Amino acid sequence: MLGSRRWQSHAGPEARLPARTRRERFIGYVCGIAAPFICTLAAWPLRSILEPASILMSYMLGVFLVASRYGRGASLTASLLSPPVFAYYFAPPIFSFAISDLENIVGLAIMIVVASLTSNLLDRARSQAEIARQRENRANALYRLSRALSDAQSREAIAALAAERIRDEFGAEAVIVPADENRRLPVAIAEVGPGFDAEAARQAFAANSTRHSQGAAYYPLAGSQTVFGVLLVRAEPSSRLAHPEALALFETFRNLVGQALERLYLAERAREAGLQVQAEALRNALLSAISHDLRTPLTRISGAAGALIDNADRLSAAERQEFYRAVFDEAQRMAELTSKILDMARLSSGEITLHCEWNALEEIVGSALTRLDKALRERPVRTQIPDRLPLLWVDAVLFEQVLANLIENAIKYTPPGSPIDIGAELAADGLQLTVTDYGAGIPDGMQQKIFDKFYRLSGETEHGGVGLGLALCRTIIAAHGGRIRATNVAGKGAAFIIDLPLREPPALDWGETVESGG
Amino acid sequence: MNDAAPLILLIEDDSQTRRFLKTSLANRGWRIAEADCAKSGLALLKSEQPDCVILDLGLPDMDGIAVARRLRQLSDLPVLVLSARSQEQNKIMALDAGADDYLTKPFGSGELHARLQALLRRVARSIAASETFETGQLKIDLARRKVFIAGNEVRITPIEFRLLGILVRHAGLVVTHRQLLGEVWGAEHIHDQHYLRIYMGQLRHKLEVNPARPRYLLTEVGVGYRLAADGS
Repeated sequence: MLGSRRWQSHAGPEARLPARTRRERFIGYVCGIAAPFICTLAAWPLRSILEPASILMSYMLGVFLVASRYGRGASLTASLLSPPVFAYYFAPPIFSFAISDLENIVGLAIMIVVASLTSNLLDRARSQAEIARQRENRANALYRLSRALSDAQSREAIAALAAERIRDEFGAEAVIVPADENRRLPVAIAEVGPGFDAEAARQAFAANSTRHSQGAAYYPLAGSQTVFGVLLVRAEPSSRLAHPEALALFETFRNLVGQALERLYLAERAREAGLQVQAEALRNALLSAISHDLRTPLTRISGAAGALIDNADRLSAAERQEFYRAVFDEAQRMAELTSKILDMARLSSGEITLHCEWNALEEIVGSALTRLDKALRERPVRTQIPDRLPLLWVDAVLFEQVLANLIENAIKYTPPGSPIDIGAELAADGLQLTVTDYGAGIPDGMQQKIFDKFYRLSGETEHGGVGLGLALCRTIIAAHGGRIRATNVAGKGAAFIIDLPLREPPALDWGETVESGG
Repeated sequence: MNDAAPLILLIEDDSQTRRFLKTSLANRGWRIAEADCAKSGLALLKSEQPDCVILDLGLPDMDGIAVARRLRQLSDLPVLVLSARSQEQNKIMALDAGADDYLTKPFGSGELHARLQALLRRVARSIAASETFETGQLKIDLARRKVFIAGNEVRITPIEFRLLGILVRHAGLVVTHRQLLGEVWGAEHIHDQHYLRIYMGQLRHKLEVNPARPRYLLTEVGVGYRLAADGS
């Protein structure tokens, strides 16, 4: 009995045996009454060869079977009925309730004690199994809910998934109205479901306490600090919510949903704060990049121009030429930097929209190479573009910019005179375009970082880059639905690989037959 | 100053740019008339009778494209527009409105000189009709409709030849996609860029040693094509 009390105290109010139905109880008692007579019938033919003590054992078996199936009440009936039946049919004098034998009286007494003990034990085992089953159900229900909640990425998803779980687990009609990002209930709350009372929902939300109205209950869904929504429930008397043992589970459900809504709210706040920090960091990086990269050429220009003005007579023709050249070169460099910075600013502010048209890759590559003709004068450029490549649906101006940036990069970071390879091939899911150089490659772990805005490999300032070229490439390629990555190729140097999805180009429906072979 | 030297009308609002252009063009033997806004530029067009116009697209008093259109209405003079980078759309609109070529700021005086020469050559060529065109190893006989690379004839389809003919007429100058599509396939096909890509690709494979690094048929990305001419 002590064990039983300890078990009750920590298992909580829901840990009770479910009540047997009336029908089950009736069948139990019928069996309890029938069992002694069945035992009698079974043992009757054996009465001449068996001692009454052995026959008594068959009654024990009957009591035991009834106890294991129908519980205490039925087994008690059987154990109380067994002694008189035994006394009447088997204990001498038979066909009388009197018992002459002391042995049989002792046997009967032991049987009654054993039967009542075993039925007690069996009953307890049965109820413990039942408790374990209930606990497992409860744990499963909570597991399903928390899994559904952890998958949900928005308030609406949390509301829909949690309401569905409540309908499934408790068989009650449920609607969840989450508060918006300012922690206010939406205005259109009346439309959530027919027969729900918007005013009661508002009251439950404002007061953080349960309201009942028009046969429905309105529960606030609270996180650790404040309310994040309202749960509207209408339970029929037949639903599992009518069972008192389900109420604790239901409360846990509400807490879980409230916490999930709170978690999402806090995550949103954190993301906003993070975005602000990121924007701030970007602005600072831009300022420092501009102040350094634009000031350097400006200093050189004004220095050279100042020297020309102040010392016009004393400078030799060669010196003057050198200063003029410096002014010109630095101005060119500044022009290039400014246009990159402006491009990046316009691309990241979303100001640029793609002007996609059908374009030939060969043409865009050719245009980029023509543009960089001067810088490529000492470089062997090897192009490998298949003749039968389909047209690409791209913004040619931006795409040429990507190629030019990659080629310029290769020129900057590889020894003078080393070759540059440009290759294209059809892959399973689109076009793969690769620009490969023959330099030192990209240091390990930097293959991702080099695409970040204002990121420069150490010592890069001397090359005069602003750390925007590759970031521009990534932004432009992403706008085309493609991907760009960098890798090192053994025996060569760095390779920049662009994967671009392909679209079906329109057919030529006018003109002459396009010649094969080209 | 020599009266036979071509006169260029320069419409540009920035006085420093005007000054630098004037100096470098005068050194190469051109004569200059200056205007700092569209209004005075259009007035000078009548009074000075220039041979060529340089037009900045960002003028204070009038939209550059509208000025280009007005210039075309008033005369057949070659017009070169100057535009800041990242104004591709403006550039194309100015070309379609009647301008003959463009330069992107900043540019060198050598580049400007070459473009002006190509512009004036176009005018001279349209006076002297049928002839042959030669640049590098490429020779195009317009009268006999034959094309040669290093003396060997190259087989060219009629459409390819029409494309080539338009480019030859504007040798050294840019020809917009719209203009090529309209002249070869007709006005209803001016948006069918893919026609142009495929035929230009074929032409390049026939005429260029390395089609991915062309010497003759140059692409002006987003704008059009340019046939390289000697001196450009």
